[in-house]
Amino acid sequence: MDPLAELKQTFFQECEELLGALEQKLQALDEGSVDPEDVNAAFRAIHSIKGGAGAFGCTELVSFAHVFEASLDHLRSGRVAIEDAPFSLFLRCSDAVADLVSAARNDEPARPRPDLLEALAEVGQAGGAAKAAPAPVAAAPAPTAPAKSAPAPAKAAAPAKSESAKADDAPLGIAALGNLLAMVEAKTGAASAAADTGWDDEPAAAAAPPTRPGREVRLHIHPDSDLFRRVIEPRVALAALPAEDVVSVTCDMSRVPSLETLDVSDCWMRFTVVLHTEMSVEEIHGKFDFTLAAEEFEIEIAAMPANDDVEPELAAPAVASEVPQNVAADLSAILAKLGPAPEPAEQPDIAPAPAVATQVVAAAQPAAAPRPAIRPPANDAAAARQRQAVSVRVDLDRIDKLMNLVGEIVITQSMLVECVRSLPYDVYAKTAEGILTLSRQTRELQDHVMAVRAQPVKAVFQRMPRLVRELAQTLGKEVRLVLEGENTEVDKTIIEELADPLTHMIRNSMDHGLETPDERIAAGKGPEGTIKLIAEHRAGRIVISVTDDGRGINRDKLLSKARSRGLVGADEKLAPEEVDQLIFAAGLSTAEAVSDISGRGVGMDVVRRNVESLGGRISVDSEPGRGCKFTLALPLTLAVLEGMVIRCGEDRYVIPIASVIETQHLSNTPIEHLTFGQEVLRWRGEVTPLYRLGAVMGSSGKPDENIIIIAETERGGNVGIAVDEIVGQQQVVVKSLEANYGTVNGASAATILGDGLVALILDVDSMLRLAASGGRQPVTELKMAG
Amino acid sequence: MTLPLGEKHFSSAQPESAARRIVTFRVGDRTFGIDVGMVREIKGWQATTPLPHAAPHVRGVLNLRGVILAVYDLRTSIGLGVTDATATHVIVVVDVEDKTAGLLVDSVSDIVDVPVSAVRPAPDLERDEHGLIEGLVLLDTEIVALLDLAAVIRDGGAEAPAARQTRAA
Repeated sequence: MDPLAELKQTFFQECEELLGALEQKLQALDEGSVDPEDVNAAFRAIHSIKGGAGAFGCTELVSFAHVFEASLDHLRSGRVAIEDAPFSLFLRCSDAVADLVSAARNDEPARPRPDLLEALAEVGQAGGAAKAAPAPVAAAPAPTAPAKSAPAPAKAAAPAKSESAKADDAPLGIAALGNLLAMVEAKTGAASAAADTGWDDEPAAAAAPPTRPGREVRLHIHPDSDLFRRVIEPRVALAALPAEDVVSVTCDMSRVPSLETLDVSDCWMRFTVVLHTEMSVEEIHGKFDFTLAAEEFEIEIAAMPANDDVEPELAAPAVASEVPQNVAADLSAILAKLGPAPEPAEQPDIAPAPAVATQVVAAAQPAAAPRPAIRPPANDAAAARQRQAVSVRVDLDRIDKLMNLVGEIVITQSMLVECVRSLPYDVYAKTAEGILTLSRQTRELQDHVMAVRAQPVKAVFQRMPRLVRELAQTLGKEVRLVLEGENTEVDKTIIEELADPLTHMIRNSMDHGLETPDERIAAGKGPEGTIKLIAEHRAGRIVISVTDDGRGINRDKLLSKARSRGLVGADEKLAPEEVDQLIFAAGLSTAEAVSDISGRGVGMDVVRRNVESLGGRISVDSEPGRGCKFTLALPLTLAVLEGMVIRCGEDRYVIPIASVIETQHLSNTPIEHLTFGQEVLRWRGEVTPLYRLGAVMGSSGKPDENIIIIAETERGGNVGIAVDEIVGQQQVVVKSLEANYGTVNGASAATILGDGLVALILDVDSMLRLAASGGRQPVTELKMAG
Repeated sequence: MTLPLGEKHFSSAQPESAARRIVTFRVGDRTFGIDVGMVREIKGWQATTPLPHAAPHVRGVLNLRGVILAVYDLRTSIGLGVTDATATHVIVVVDVEDKTAGLLVDSVSDIVDVPVSAVRPAPDLERDEHGLIEGLVLLDTEIVALLDLAAVIRDGGAEAPAARQTRAA
């Protein structure tokens, strides 16, 4: 992949995180939070997306994000009270941004959202009009606005920017690169395309009125190169100055090193700000308290009274002519390295970013608007440094390779253990000690690698609010989604598999479980239904439950449907709980009308099958009229499992420890014979069916089957499995049988034992099905898939 | 092995002079062949782990450097019964479609270059109901039957009557 595409990939990854944060904050606000920090965080998220999108030329995304950002800005500035803000609109907008991001990612045309843009613009206008404040952003044009090509330098001087400011969370990421490219663009004057998106077309007229009391003050700002790392952006610092006092801002970029040697997290910019102000030196100092150290700027007070002839526009063109050629040359050199053919056509790709850069010269918004206090920079900086220190982005492939290698080591190590057994005693004792240590270390290594792969379920959970929102709208239901335990960690193999079952379960609850507001009121409930999505660790598994407070499962209907389909005999009596489990039977759906959402009867049985194929289980508890709870339990990883190695005849098998309840000797257990050769044994006062592994799995050799393993099935029942011998217990690496062969009935996968031979990992439920079918497999399963 | 025609299979568009490089191997007194490009490696017989209730020609699975693959008994596929595998028997590891599989044969005999024009279509044999034979090559001393590996692996021999008889015997 060429480096530019790689960067783009990283940007999209960042986008996903940012979108998650955005949605989460908006959700919190929608649910009644009035914390300005939530607004700020949402703003920062969308701002960062915009910045990166600009750098990669995703114009639709930039335009939309800009309007969105501008609306959110009204909340930050207090022009629109948080309590009055239309967060449901904002949430829909965040969905739209997500769509635009995925469109950009897949290079698909984006769906324009004029409706949302219009609604967003209204937010600003209403707020702005009420205050009668000049809020030019409110009039931000739609993305389809025709290109205007105002020269960029003039724009750079426009001081009236409502883009106020707090430190961005991600100034060092792609957004920072966007800033940088934008700076270069602004300097090389090649930014005509950049201006086209149109939102910067605010009149440059907000410069200081000529006849005002005060004197001219020049500020020379030369921040330390670690400015960005302190999570400060120059415009943040500059925004602290009252807009009406700013006459001009000049940026000196002569110190910016050539692109090849430039670290994007270093700040090399210097600024000269001309103020026409009545503020005292101390007051000006005070403005930078939170952003700049005292030695990072100097205040020079002109001896003369204010000179009204200062032309604000003069400053910027001067900047533009300082170092354009070498930067431009550097840029093309870099592009030449990045892409195979640095055609000029690539320019527009990076062009739209000046949105950010031009704000470098931004001045503050009307002083009347209260702004959230900026936190002391020391904390921000420390936090940022800490964040950098503790997390690294690693390609999943690398972790997978590491994981595979650890798996190989585990196999090699158990092979060594077997080799050592044949050594003479004196040698054996020493070697065994070493091997013991080795095995402890291998186990530890494996645990650590597993921990690296662990991810919070948040990645999946955060997709659900959108699903619920959209469904609620389609179905005309009012729903509140409660998420708990989002930080519960689970291996990434499981994370990937969670999305589908969860989506199905939530759809099911939304569609079948929850009633419409009218029905709820008639049933004496509040009009708004609640769905709780809870994740937790329990007994070495991750347990996820979806609980709704809807009508519960309609048992009569489910049962009669099951009878009509022949799933349940006409006279068969089922306990209420057993009836509920029918919801997982294939082809059953109680939906009155088949809808787009669910109800084709392919829902819950598919979920069950998928979950079971992952070694998990799913159950349902329902209380008529009160609601329904689906519980999903999955192993924490699919990569390794703790297994009991057993032998039957000449073959060895691995049975997951998780399934084993206990083992006992056959002679201690009374066995009785039922019809058709079915044997049962009495275990803890229960009659438990007994299966002989050799017969079920067709093992070679003559099994004597002296040992009985009592195992748990997914339905909660127990079975006895007769085997010859328990060889040992060990952690085994799960290897796919499907990859090169196909599904094997009775086994979920295979593993490699110490002697290099393959052993099947038994799947108790699949084994029972195999036993029930008398060992015949449907022909389709005989065939190798593919 | 880097060989020119490795990935190429039948193509009538190939020029007359084009050749196919074929690995030949023996099962009993018969000779079979596959394109050399499909062969990943050749290894001695190694014990396999049987799969429950698998088709007769599926010998079981084995571990090839951490990857698990199934081994198919070509003798069973062609209806000659089950190979009594010894250390002298050979597993030809092949890539078929997107999978890797092992083919149990008696021995590998040669690598031969044959002009594409020398490959004749398989006669429409009633016994070859699974279409295991893709074509025939006439060499000086013998006839090489080119195998359609996908067919061999899919269902070859599962229903071959001769195989049943041999197994029963």
